[in-house]
Amino acid sequence: MFLNHSHIAPVSPILKAAEDAARRIPPAFPLEATVAVNPFLGQTGEDLATASARLQRVAGVRATQPVAAYAAMLENGSLADADLDAAVLSAKSRLKPKDVAALKAALGKDDAQEPVALPTVANLAAEFTGVDWPSIIEKTFGVWAAGQFDRGQALWSPTPGADAFASWRVWATHDLTPEIAGLSGFCAHVTAAPDMADRAILRAAEALGLNDHAAETAFHRLYMDLGGWSQHARWILWQQELAGETDRTLADLLAIRLVWEEALLAHVPEIGGKWAETVEAHSAPLEPSEQDVALAIVQEASERAHQRRLIAILDGKTATNGRPALQAAFCIDVRSEVFRRALEGVDPTIETIGFAGFFGLPLAHKAHGSDVVEAHLPVLLNPALESASHADPKGEQDTRIAARAARAWGRFRQAAVSSFAFVEAAGPLYAGKLVRDALGLGDKATKSAPAPRVAGGLDAKAKADTAEAVLRAMSLTTGHGKIVLLSGHGASVTNNPHKSAYHCGACGGYTGEVSVRLLAMLLNDPETRRGLAGRGVSVPDDTLFIAGLHDTTTDEITIYDDGLPSGRGDDIRRMKGWLKQAGRIARAERVAALPGATSTTIADRALNWAEVRPEWGLAGCAAFIAAPRAGTAGKHLGGRAFLHSYDWQLDDGFGTLELIITAPVVVASWINLQYYGSSVTPNIFGGGNKLIHNVVGGIGVIEGNSGRLRPGLPWQAVHDGERLMHEPLRLSVMIEAPCEAISGVLGRHPEVRDLFDNGWLHLFTLKDGKVDARYRPGLVWADATQDLAA
Amino acid sequence: MEFSLSFLAPCVLSVLAIHAWRQPGCRPKGLPHLAEYAALAALGVAALGLVQVAVVGTAVLSFIEAPASRALNANLVTSALVLLVAFIGWVVVRYSRTYLDGEAQEGRFHALMLATLAAVLLFVQSGNLGMLILSSALIGFCLKRLLLFYRERPEARRAATKFALVWHGADAALVIAALLLVANYGTGNLGEIATVASKIGLTWSSSLGIALIVFAAALKTAAFPMHGWLTEVMEAPTPVSALLHAGIINSGGILLILLAGLVQLSPGVMAALVMIGGFTAIFGAAVMLTQSAVKTSLAWSTVSQMGFLLLQCGLGLWALALLHIVAHSLYKAHAFLSSGGAVQAVASLRRPGPIAVPSFAAVLKSFALALVLYALIATAFSVLLGPKTAQALALGAILIFGVAYLVAQGLADLAPAELTKRTALLSLGAAIAYFAFQAGAQAFWGPALPLAPTPGPLEWALIVLAVASFGLVAFAQALFPLWAHHPSTAGLRVHLANGFYMNALLDRAIGGFRSEKAY
Repeated sequence: MFLNHSHIAPVSPILKAAEDAARRIPPAFPLEATVAVNPFLGQTGEDLATASARLQRVAGVRATQPVAAYAAMLENGSLADADLDAAVLSAKSRLKPKDVAALKAALGKDDAQEPVALPTVANLAAEFTGVDWPSIIEKTFGVWAAGQFDRGQALWSPTPGADAFASWRVWATHDLTPEIAGLSGFCAHVTAAPDMADRAILRAAEALGLNDHAAETAFHRLYMDLGGWSQHARWILWQQELAGETDRTLADLLAIRLVWEEALLAHVPEIGGKWAETVEAHSAPLEPSEQDVALAIVQEASERAHQRRLIAILDGKTATNGRPALQAAFCIDVRSEVFRRALEGVDPTIETIGFAGFFGLPLAHKAHGSDVVEAHLPVLLNPALESASHADPKGEQDTRIAARAARAWGRFRQAAVSSFAFVEAAGPLYAGKLVRDALGLGDKATKSAPAPRVAGGLDAKAKADTAEAVLRAMSLTTGHGKIVLLSGHGASVTNNPHKSAYHCGACGGYTGEVSVRLLAMLLNDPETRRGLAGRGVSVPDDTLFIAGLHDTTTDEITIYDDGLPSGRGDDIRRMKGWLKQAGRIARAERVAALPGATSTTIADRALNWAEVRPEWGLAGCAAFIAAPRAGTAGKHLGGRAFLHSYDWQLDDGFGTLELIITAPVVVASWINLQYYGSSVTPNIFGGGNKLIHNVVGGIGVIEGNSGRLRPGLPWQAVHDGERLMHEPLRLSVMIEAPCEAISGVLGRHPEVRDLFDNGWLHLFTLKDGKVDARYRPGLVWADATQDLAA
Repeated sequence: MEFSLSFLAPCVLSVLAIHAWRQPGCRPKGLPHLAEYAALAALGVAALGLVQVAVVGTAVLSFIEAPASRALNANLVTSALVLLVAFIGWVVVRYSRTYLDGEAQEGRFHALMLATLAAVLLFVQSGNLGMLILSSALIGFCLKRLLLFYRERPEARRAATKFALVWHGADAALVIAALLLVANYGTGNLGEIATVASKIGLTWSSSLGIALIVFAAALKTAAFPMHGWLTEVMEAPTPVSALLHAGIINSGGILLILLAGLVQLSPGVMAALVMIGGFTAIFGAAVMLTQSAVKTSLAWSTVSQMGFLLLQCGLGLWALALLHIVAHSLYKAHAFLSSGGAVQAVASLRRPGPIAVPSFAAVLKSFALALVLYALIATAFSVLLGPKTAQALALGAILIFGVAYLVAQGLADLAPAELTKRTALLSLGAAIAYFAFQAGAQAFWGPALPLAPTPGPLEWALIVLAVASFGLVAFAQALFPLWAHHPSTAGLRVHLANGFYMNALLDRAIGGFRSEKAY
């Protein structure tokens, strides 16, 4: 509860509405280590049609695809009438069309009508006075916010540690821009405004005539108006709450935006009537229209069409061979599916496993030469193990001195006066840098960092505890191969602000390197092995764990030699050969979708500083399958499925099932819905156009000269210029486990159940590799084969 | 000799621009590669052109048989600029090949980019005022269309409008200046006009002409108070910004250098250049400190660097001004093209722990050290290469104040000895590098350009003023962490971050705040 700290204002319905509105905003993680977030995080308590209605009111966009997109699917046959029929039947809304014909008619009705958000006072003032107040607010707010949340771009930042509202008041009482634009007296208005956000909100709400019913969506409207800045503030709150604290920045931003509204209404009293109508509209209960419901049904139908194809592919499990020579564990990331399929195809003695790429180690890590603590784990969780990749004291000192000298040089480049000396002294040398970067000759061979270590080391018990927990979660307590490759992943890209978005989401937006290297060393440790044996997990003595990193741009795998025994050289060489072959096959498959790529030039994308589509990330993700690999091995899932290895028969008490449903499934749904949001609502939940990105404060991007922070995926990450590369489908989760066990987990986690009950996720059970039952809202299961359109 | 290979560079690009114009859409077959090859060919002939000039001598191109009508010039100055522009051109066209892939107007972009480059290449080797004005107008025409590449963006339309207003305003000033000069001296030939003018002397109307040229140069280099257009034009794809900041923004400076002999005849105009340039340099650099968006910050840096360029011109240090153009272009092109790395760059700042802040005493020490360093190096270079002018020494002092900032960072109490050593070495390297580059520039271009005027009382006053104000700012900068977050400076930071509202005032004047209907 971030608003309840005020000692003066009692908790009023208005402040409650402010809090509710704030909770509707999804967090946006800074680009330094960004992870996908479900943009509809604040709407998971309602269904798609209602969320769509809400977004139309507060942001002027629908949460569904344009009618034309659905019409095209019907046209080309990818969406069948049977899918529509099934979707209509399963819909619960009383506004739903009675049959497919009525649905099609409803779609055709008013497709030209573009949704428009309810106006803000700024919109009305602009309409009346002809002065573009929304853009002036965006710009001046943006300049202030960029400084406030700057992590080191500008040398002169605002006083660190000041609250957002206090800092803005200092800014706004000096900033003459609004007055030059015509809002005379704005500085005085800010000076006279209450100095606490809560009181400023209450005062403005009163001045604006906001009643308790209108306040929530009116506030939500203003939050959406601030674009990514609200989402950045929501991230601050997210981090604080994860650590058991709270934060007031979101309330501060609302207060700032309300001070503007208040001033503009006073400045242009003529718009009072129209504003009162707007407040009236805000206080109307939020209900989807028939069109919203119809569009949500067609969206559901398009997902059913995908499920129909997927179910046809999943035609039962394949036989497994004996003890594998190589058991390779990859992240559940959909990009691994392509590589795993390729690798298994190389040799019948290879088996692959899917598990979240942090491999269960909740690390708070310090990189080589760094004091900054990085959380290498899913953002839903708190780190519990401290680690560092620090070299010996001498090496560490050298790295730091070099970095500090480079930093001093950077300040020399940036500072007043010295910037002239910099240009005169170093400018000509940039001719060489231009040639180097233009030809992609940049740092090709970066030396791998020193091996990570757990801070203070682990005792025998902790080693065994950690190892046992990881292996049980991976369903890897028996049948270990001779070599178990633990492969994390990361993407090599150059000059790309969204680099971390291509890294491992399960590792908090970093690569999986640290996690796999630590785990491999832990699992090879004789002390760990002894401890495991005592707990009934027997790992054969000749099983060797090896850490690797899958580069998802080039499909090459780096192997880390953290004390690998020399006696296993032949095994390791053979493994490397297999990985190379698999890389070639995977590249050949990926080439088709990458514009202008050939399988020989694909690696150049990693080094090309002008490349805006180095790889496709998780675009296309549509399914999550938790089952033994035997059920999916050999099936061409097109790099669109998260694959989590899970054997329910080894899962006593379904603890692992609970973990899977509450963590990897939720993370996968965040990723899937981020792609959905960035494709369907690119203007509010998408990152905009990479060609005009302007990195701000080291945390995010704005487009060109505008003031609005743009979280989410850039357009180039979901679109190849001619078509959408991400088909916007909500995730279909398929789990090989008994229905009752799954229902049990959902019953214990209402927030996760919401996702399924409100249609943000689909859920199926599998039996022997075939789809068995479909989940219906309210913990009900239906026969999937009957429920499906043929 | 009548023909230089450099003259071919714009021709190659124009031919391909026309070809590109015919395939304006998405993924035009083979075109992006062709565009790069054309840029590479232009770079090739530019390099050969420089060699030709260096070995064989200068060249001119005339379309009619009259010495006054030379359209293009090739000498060491223009050929070096051709090579610079062609090099930047190749880099940005190659970058665009990948970067623009899949854009709806991909072919059109390449056409405009090549046409702009061709126009800049014409501009830098203009032989007469007519060609200069024509090519300048052409640059403005093409660049405006590039700035409107995302025409649907109101911000882009505003920026393009502002750009066109200032740019073509400067062109109009040039037209009047040309008429006045031709009326006075009977020639528009860039090679002759200074000679004729120094014979005949200045009249009030030719003085006005020169003042208008300087006015145009100030507009084109985004000097205070008309700098606003430059800080908003990151609305076009990144390669456009790179070309703008590395190739086009220099035209004001190039204009002055091409007409150096003429401009230097007017001490008043030279003084104006020192004042406008010096103020803009300090103003831009101070605003840049407050900018949190990387491209915006780079744009302010350009404002400031162009101010410095005008200052160098005003001091009559023409060869050094040319060096500044080359050095700044290369740096800024790279900075824009690699600006996507800003997230990583900012993140890496925090990794090695807190910054050691130098105390007042350490800053004093660093300035003393820097001055000693300067005395040593300046003496060494003077002994080796002959005495330096007062202006050159003053400029050296200004630059050494900048180096003092680097020294100061190593002298902070908390800085480990190893870091002190590194920053000292870097400082020494920087000092030697720029004196060496300056000596090189003087040796290469000096003979082709006028000497700095012997300073009179006015010049001395300006030199002292410039050195004192840059020194003061440098000193304040070095002490920056000690005062930047004091509450009393909060207001200053706000005003600076808003560029002293010059842009807001311009917006108000030209209706930039109005809600506009899409056109």
